[in-house]
Amino acid sequence: MRNRVMIVTVALLLASSGPAMAQQQSATPAAATPTSGSIDFGFRASSIDGDKARWERYRDLRDGALSRISFGKETDQYIFDTKVDNIGYHDQRYEVNYNNSGKVKFTFLWDSTPLNYSYDSSTPWVEQSPGVFTLDPATRLLVQNNTPGIVAVPTTAAQLATPSIYRSLAKPFDIQARRDAASFSATFAATKDLAFNVAFNSTRKTGHEVKGASFAFSVADQLPLPLDNRTNDFTAAAEWMNQRGTIRVAWDGSWFNNNIHEFLFDNPVRATDTNPYNPSGYSNGQGAAQSRMAAPPSNNMNVVSAMGLYKMPGRNTVNAQLSLTSMNQNDELIPWTSNQVINSPAVFANFPALARLPRSTAEAEVRGINALFNFTSRPNRFFGLTMRYRYNDHKNNTPHFDGVEYVRLDAVPEETGSETEQFNIKQNTFDLNGTFNLMSHTALRIGYTYDDFKRTGRAFSDSTDYTFRTTLDTLGNQYVTLRVIYENAKRIGTGFSEQSLEDGGFQPGLRTYDESDRVRNRGWLVFTVTPTSMVDLTLSVAAGKDKYHGPGHEFGLLDNKNTVYNVGLNVNPLDKVRFGANYGRDQYTSNQKARNASPPGTDYGTWFDPNRDWFLNGDETVNNATVYLDLIKAIEKTDIRVSYDYSDSNNAYIYSGPRIQELSTNRALSGPSAILYPRFTIPSPCAAGLTSCFEALPAITNTWQRFTVDLKYMFAAKVGVGLGYWYEKFVVTDYATVDLPGQPGTPRIDYLGLISTGYGNRPYKGNTGFLRILYLF
Amino acid sequence: MLSSRYVTRAGLSIAGLVAGLSTAGLVAVFSLCGPARAAAGRPQIRAVKPAVAQQPGEYVGQDTCLTCHEQQDYKGTLHARTSDERTPAATKGCEACHGPGKGHVTGGPEGGIDKTKIVNPKTLKPQESSEICLTCHTRGTHALFTGSQHDQRNVGCVTCHSVHTPKGEKQIKAATQPELCATCHRNIVNRLYRFNHMPVREGKIVCTNCHNPHGSANVKLLKTGTTVDEACTSCHSEKRGPYLWEHAPVVNACVTCHDPHGSNNERLLVAKVPFLCQRCHVTSRHPPTVYDGFPLKNSASANRLVGQGCVVCHVQIHGSNAPSGKYFHR
Repeated sequence: MRNRVMIVTVALLLASSGPAMAQQQSATPAAATPTSGSIDFGFRASSIDGDKARWERYRDLRDGALSRISFGKETDQYIFDTKVDNIGYHDQRYEVNYNNSGKVKFTFLWDSTPLNYSYDSSTPWVEQSPGVFTLDPATRLLVQNNTPGIVAVPTTAAQLATPSIYRSLAKPFDIQARRDAASFSATFAATKDLAFNVAFNSTRKTGHEVKGASFAFSVADQLPLPLDNRTNDFTAAAEWMNQRGTIRVAWDGSWFNNNIHEFLFDNPVRATDTNPYNPSGYSNGQGAAQSRMAAPPSNNMNVVSAMGLYKMPGRNTVNAQLSLTSMNQNDELIPWTSNQVINSPAVFANFPALARLPRSTAEAEVRGINALFNFTSRPNRFFGLTMRYRYNDHKNNTPHFDGVEYVRLDAVPEETGSETEQFNIKQNTFDLNGTFNLMSHTALRIGYTYDDFKRTGRAFSDSTDYTFRTTLDTLGNQYVTLRVIYENAKRIGTGFSEQSLEDGGFQPGLRTYDESDRVRNRGWLVFTVTPTSMVDLTLSVAAGKDKYHGPGHEFGLLDNKNTVYNVGLNVNPLDKVRFGANYGRDQYTSNQKARNASPPGTDYGTWFDPNRDWFLNGDETVNNATVYLDLIKAIEKTDIRVSYDYSDSNNAYIYSGPRIQELSTNRALSGPSAILYPRFTIPSPCAAGLTSCFEALPAITNTWQRFTVDLKYMFAAKVGVGLGYWYEKFVVTDYATVDLPGQPGTPRIDYLGLISTGYGNRPYKGNTGFLRILYLF
Repeated sequence: MLSSRYVTRAGLSIAGLVAGLSTAGLVAVFSLCGPARAAAGRPQIRAVKPAVAQQPGEYVGQDTCLTCHEQQDYKGTLHARTSDERTPAATKGCEACHGPGKGHVTGGPEGGIDKTKIVNPKTLKPQESSEICLTCHTRGTHALFTGSQHDQRNVGCVTCHSVHTPKGEKQIKAATQPELCATCHRNIVNRLYRFNHMPVREGKIVCTNCHNPHGSANVKLLKTGTTVDEACTSCHSEKRGPYLWEHAPVVNACVTCHDPHGSNNERLLVAKVPFLCQRCHVTSRHPPTVYDGFPLKNSASANRLVGQGCVVCHVQIHGSNAPSGKYFHR
């Protein structure tokens, strides 16, 4: 169907295109012509080994006809152009632009973007209706009744030898999503100085995405949950400008509507609600037969803003913006639980709050204020000053919701919950920079930023970043361009509340890295040498280190370091010849600390035992390279473009610390808690017969390569032929992707503690060929 | 008694807000009641002095310029639209931006060429050359350029744009935006080639879908909203909330957990799950448990390592609207 549509469209265009001058395909603006355009029509065929969905990812590369059409008309009064790509494919794009002497401007865009997760996935659940997933009831009953020989969700290595009964029920299911966006914008210049702008954008998301939908610690499930939502955005603005200034007022509205309010899904290990409820049901899956989960709620956001710019005498400029934001979400709330055993008077007698919801809808709202003020002064050629102040207030006015009593994973009622906690953030930023023009085209800038955050609901009520920076920019010299920046930032938190950590069950020595004290040093240098106009060589180096520390800071992210090197060469010896290469190496390391412990007050004493500490070092190294060659009419009538891209990553996680040592040597814990061990069996962490029960995870590696060749030969002034070839290869090793034993690339959906869709990171290799006819008019 | 630090901060906050509001108001007043606007069809070059002072009005006309500078014609661009009275072509042509040309054409020795008597943006400091463009381009997305991050770093209009020999859309100096931005931000552009990435290399979005390089009221030159979250949720609206149960790092900023430019971890995360979560969730029981190769192969705890890890149970990690959603299960 898509091929027929495309062929008919192209034929119609060819028949209707009038005489016109030829137009260059490149983006370089051509001389004004009455009408112009191009039709690029052809065919594509591919062969793929491996994960085809990953190969396509954001593209639709099915075999068949392909098209790229552009058409433009320019007169003294208006410019009109339109572009069309990939008619009929999931990544099709249509664009129209119209400009009438600047008085009326109009743009329209329709753009589809697929997101292809997997074509090799499967699921035993059946989607009865959008968001409702059921399992075969007879099978569930067999599992519930502990029928011998049946494995549902494997929980031990021994059980992995037996396929889950759900594997046999699983049906193949492509997991794909798509984003279709239509946007329209119009600007009307009422006068030379006054313009009005309206814009409308509507984005629809459909398809499925991979999501969890779990019942217990040992019964985690992954489902292809459906997407069916739409976001409509509307903007209206008026702008007035004269020689001295500009003022703009605008209203932006956004409405997200989700046609799916909730998800319902069957429990693979229960056909009926466990009766009476099992206090460990959240751990072993003995809970509800069916669970309910809230889908992302419909919401809206409105922003009114005013922006002004004024050019003062003496080369001083001020600009400022003020915006007021309102976000609302008032979806109907789903019940506490889907478990009918828990929804009963017997349970309500002990958990009275579960008898009804405190309120029926979310009543969630956020109000925001943002103000920005910039003052720039350049009183002479030697000195410039920029001052900036920014204020941002994010205030959540959602009424508290009493969730002290709640139902965990639809299995167990508990009163270990809490009231909802809304997080407010108020930010004040003051930034001052002085620029000294040391010599011609060389500027030294020294700056300071004070950035203060006041937060509620966090461990620190206040954290402030004090940043000093210096930059050196030398440019305008035809041979050398140099840009250097160095920043030192210190973040200090105040108003620390150990109670807030305790309320969250956190170790008192934890500091979350987005608010903890931190010292940051980072620098970056870009150096470009242009010995002749035909050659440029660029070297860039960046390095940064964050160290998270502060009084009492013991756990969490402790530090991270990043180093990037890049060297690139571009050579353009003739207008017709360009080639170049670029190599980059990026290394990122991080260090975090945790303690593997039972809660405080329990008998093991591990909460305070430093022998339970462990560290994790992340070490990621990425190498990437690009090479290209463009021969534009170097051979008569022929354009040739060749490129090669490469990216290689090695990501290792390295464990250390006393807890790791203990696990590795398979011995009981040391320290005070060891005294308790004769009384408890749990602290022996290793299964009998194993000599070691810590095993380092393998590094996650991937290598991606792409080679493309495109050849275009114009055998007549307006007609040409094109040949293209793509080679793309992706190799990956990832322990988190599970395949069937002896069948690499074939997903295993029934793994330890999990019934999944089989989605993962798998390799592919693809070869694609193109043949095109090009017609210019 | 409030400490002086708090008083100072409060004072700064209030002062700043008042300054911002006052300035916006002043700007409105000055803009509306300012000097009479220039006669229609004559945008002035403001505050840029040619290399040598010239008598105003000593224009020679575009055709004279093109006698020598034929290659510098700008036909086919919006600047050349004579029907739009605001454009250079509708006013003084080349001299609308380069200044009166008479001194350049006849001011040299024996009445010849004098290269110093014309405005050449290439030889000006970036901020000075930008002032030429900002004579007209101060509305819409360009209004906050002065004082913006790029302006402060001497990245002027002509650093990225070319009036005469553009290679890409919007008259940029490269065929594509990533190619242009990579001139300085190579380390960011390199991330686009990681196997989890936004669809930039597929041609579906470009840098300016998220950023406004000309200046913005948001951080990091994000063009939409006033916080990182507002920018991201302008497309990912399902994450916008607000939710009944919020997850603190989500409210703080999406970039606490995600790298929007590209990552070798699933879902553009900055680290692999569960290790990312374990940077903050140092509690008791399963969150800070050591997850390594042993549970991966031997116990149900493998579900914290494979697939989506923690998020296979804590699925509503961006926030939950379920009454029982405290731990983001529902």
